[in-house]
Amino acid sequence: MTNVIETKNLLRKFGSDETEIIALNKVSVEIEKGEFTAIIGPSGSGKTTLLHLIGGLDEPDDGSVFLSGANIAEMSGNELSDFRRDHIGFIFQAYNLIPVLSAQENIEYIMLLQGVPAAERKSRVGDMLNLVGLEGLGDRRPAHLSGGQQQRVAVARAMASQPDIILADEPTANLDSKTGIALLDVMRELNEKQNMTFVFSTHDQKIMDRATRLIHLEDGAIEKDERK
Amino acid sequence: MLTLRIAFRNILRQKRRSLLTGLSMTGGYMLFVFAYSLLEGSYGNIIDIFTLDNTGHIQVHKEDYLDKPKIYKSVQDRATVESTLSDHPKVKSFTPRVFSPALAYGTDKTAPSRVIGVDTETEPTVSRLREKVSEGNYFSTAPDADGYYEAMIGHGLATSLKIGVADEIVLISQGADGSIANDIFVVAAIIGNRTSFDRMAVYLPLATAQEFLAMGGDVHEYAMLIDHRDNSRRVADELAGFLPDLTVSPWEEVQATFYRTMQSDRQGNNFMMGLIVFIVFIGVLNTVLMSVLERTREFGVLRAIGARPASLIRLITLETSILATISVLLGMVLIAPMVYWLSQVGFLVPEPIDMGGIEFQHMKGEFSLQVFLTPMMFMLVTAILISIPPGIRAARILPKEAMGAH
Repeated sequence: MTNVIETKNLLRKFGSDETEIIALNKVSVEIEKGEFTAIIGPSGSGKTTLLHLIGGLDEPDDGSVFLSGANIAEMSGNELSDFRRDHIGFIFQAYNLIPVLSAQENIEYIMLLQGVPAAERKSRVGDMLNLVGLEGLGDRRPAHLSGGQQQRVAVARAMASQPDIILADEPTANLDSKTGIALLDVMRELNEKQNMTFVFSTHDQKIMDRATRLIHLEDGAIEKDERK
Repeated sequence: MLTLRIAFRNILRQKRRSLLTGLSMTGGYMLFVFAYSLLEGSYGNIIDIFTLDNTGHIQVHKEDYLDKPKIYKSVQDRATVESTLSDHPKVKSFTPRVFSPALAYGTDKTAPSRVIGVDTETEPTVSRLREKVSEGNYFSTAPDADGYYEAMIGHGLATSLKIGVADEIVLISQGADGSIANDIFVVAAIIGNRTSFDRMAVYLPLATAQEFLAMGGDVHEYAMLIDHRDNSRRVADELAGFLPDLTVSPWEEVQATFYRTMQSDRQGNNFMMGLIVFIVFIGVLNTVLMSVLERTREFGVLRAIGARPASLIRLITLETSILATISVLLGMVLIAPMVYWLSQVGFLVPEPIDMGGIEFQHMKGEFSLQVFLTPMMFMLVTAILISIPPGIRAARILPKEAMGAH
């Protein structure tokens, strides 16, 4: 199998001197294409930090991150933006949709950044809305969607750019149990049917139950790495 | 299109704030256009006073006559000059002139004066000489019953010599051939008033002046009017190409001191107008910065999903430009009737302003595309420039930190 994510000795500190906290301590991990991986651990264990480093949203103090074989530390600002746009999909705990855009425009925007022609964008937006079960709700703005529906739009947005990896930071944390399960089923289905790689940071047992791999973090280090 | 939609919706997101910001830009634009129209109108009036009073839009001389006038530096091949001027489509009218200093006698007084020989027929098509007659009648080329030719003298000279219409005036000067020129003329009219540039002038019919100064058929100057004063430099350059042995000067060079003064005055006024716009845009800058601050999280998300920093700068710039464009267009609709009124009616000043014997009672503005477009371009460029710092601020937002912002 091909590694789509590879981290080598990732070190990330916050603060300085007496207040210094080591969030990640020499973390090396390899994630293969098509894995449905959950990074789990108690609060402050470094889950979100690892996810941010993998996604190029933060820079490590030491070590390196390879995504689809490319070392993101060697990329310029624009190259990293382009790389995120084309290779990584993000799903955030707080949905983070653009409030002035409708659901379909939120999904379309990333394709606009990619330079996808208008006709193809429209077609893909329709497909994505169907995929996440939001047919007929494309014209609604985020304020007029429930939390679950907003997170579905976020999943569709993350998928729309046809990325190699989707990074999801506590995606079910703000959802009720039923909505969370429905959303996870959507993501699992996408993972199985399209062989898309998902990496979650989570406390949610529902995600852990569905994950094919669990990476346990404790005090910034990998305590256990188990494949189901 | 989607980017445009985002920009529009972001403007409408805070309707009241956008409205107030837009109105401040509309007000700034209207003020700018009004002041600009009034200034350009005033400059136009002043330039017309200068050019129509005497200078014309363009002058033709021999060599450096303009800087160092000598009686022998005269235009001899008049036929070529006149056919060139007649053939040029932009030249509306032209007239020849001769000049010479002279000593004037009247009764028992003497005074220095300047003889100006003009073509009695064509001079009024270039200058306001006929309208400047304050006493008497515009002169004729024919001698009177006693054989004396008519002269028109400046108000100052008439006062110095204590002479008036129908009195005799004696002129002594030097002819172009070195001879002493002297003759008696009859005063046909008094020209202008004590502030006129030609208050010490003696106007003679061209042929009379040429004979008096022994110049044959030569002249010192051709003054002309063209289709519009703004084209003077271009037309002068074109004419210079046809008249290689002569010097063709636009009014800006003939009245160089005035022109430089006017330009520096214009720069000062432009600075003041720039200051008005600057003050308006400080408020705009504040609004845009607040807008960026409020949307920190959104910009972080956009950066996270792959928007380049430059695309965020473009978005902010687009939003500000759209608001500025709408504001300016609204301002244009509101101010256009006022500027039109200013150009047609203008302000009636309580006391007429005397400019070299010509009285003006109206301060009028200019109604032209330039009056509307220059402030518009200035406002739009400033809007773009002012939006760049907030845009850079948005572009520098780190996605990771923005995620935690609320």
